Amino acid sequence: MEEVVRIVEEEGVEYNNPIVIEGLPDVGLVGTIAASFIVEKLNYKEIGHIESDLFPPVMVIHDGKLKNSFRIYSAEDGSVVVVLSEVAVPPKAVYPITTALADWFHKIDTKQPVISVKGLPMKNRMDIEKPEVFAVGNNGDAVAELKAKQIDLLEEGFIAGTYAIMLRECSKRKISAISLLAQCYPVYPDPGAAVSAIETLKKFITSLTVDVGELLENAEEIKLKARDLMQQTALSASEMQKGMEQDMPIMYR
Amino acid sequence: MMNRQVGGEKGRGMEIERRIIKATWAHNGNLEPLYEVEDKEDEILVTFDLPRVSKENVAINTTADMVEVIAKMSNAVCWERWGVVQKEITFQAFRKQIRLPEPIEPEKAHALLKNGILRITLPKIRRKVLINIE
Repeated sequence: MEEVVRIVEEEGVEYNNPIVIEGLPDVGLVGTIAASFIVEKLNYKEIGHIESDLFPPVMVIHDGKLKNSFRIYSAEDGSVVVVLSEVAVPPKAVYPITTALADWFHKIDTKQPVISVKGLPMKNRMDIEKPEVFAVGNNGDAVAELKAKQIDLLEEGFIAGTYAIMLRECSKRKISAISLLAQCYPVYPDPGAAVSAIETLKKFITSLTVDVGELLENAEEIKLKARDLMQQTALSASEMQKGMEQDMPIMYR
Repeated sequence: MMNRQVGGEKGRGMEIERRIIKATWAHNGNLEPLYEVEDKEDEILVTFDLPRVSKENVAINTTADMVEVIAKMSNAVCWERWGVVQKEITFQAFRKQIRLPEPIEPEKAHALLKNGILRITLPKIRRKVLINIE
């Protein structure tokens, strides 16, 4: 039986116990902005894509070449893999896509933890000069590593979206995973938050030699180009129950 | 009866076109900014994301039920490889008119532009009466 979401790899790709960066669109487009900056600056090559009948029938054209909206990139030496998309994840595809990706991470023997780069929506983001980064780990090892790297943990609350389910699906396959959450605008693209996220990512991936200054310089143009994806992502937010991230869990301790 | 039918068909035709050509940019070089409207009890807060815009180039007009922002970008942009029609357009300004959910007092409105975000505070028309609890 064909899978609902299929990871399609190019032929002859070699992996080298890669660390995975997942940057699918979410609040502030933090992951998408960070992932696309890394992929572009470090010249990662496209090694695969994700297909599904649950995705809208949309392809994208870059440099005259036809590409899938959901793409997977790899560093030249196979040590880092990046998952990103130019189209919002349809809510009904959340569960199948996280299952397919978690299975695939297991197959390529990913280095742990798998890292999702996301945003933490803040009403008062306008007054925050330098966004902070918080994190969630899906098991004892992940949490220990976050503490060792002195990254603030989310202690109590709800998390919603693809990354929340990704943490669980990785857990089921005994893969450590973390989500880095940078304080961001809820409905505006946030390159500033992406910068904070990349600086934290560097603690996990020493080969990430990107100059975040360049990201800041191009922040305004990135915001202009990200408008449409931000709008698409924001439209699916209510079905993803993003609002619950502001809620108090009844069993708060 | 006849008018309503014609109006209905024309209305539906326009609605269908908007589903096919719904864009956040216009041929006249205006971009539609991302925005958010928040109802905060005594006031309505409208924010706009305006990259490449400085304070002197923003014009805000409001009436009791509408707010309009026209903001000229400090550097116009022409994305020469995008699409077919779009590549010929130089985008130089943001423009958006928003209908407000409740009437407001334009004279009491104020705005702040910080870190590229324009925040407009629009006090609602309210006549508050204190009710005593027996």
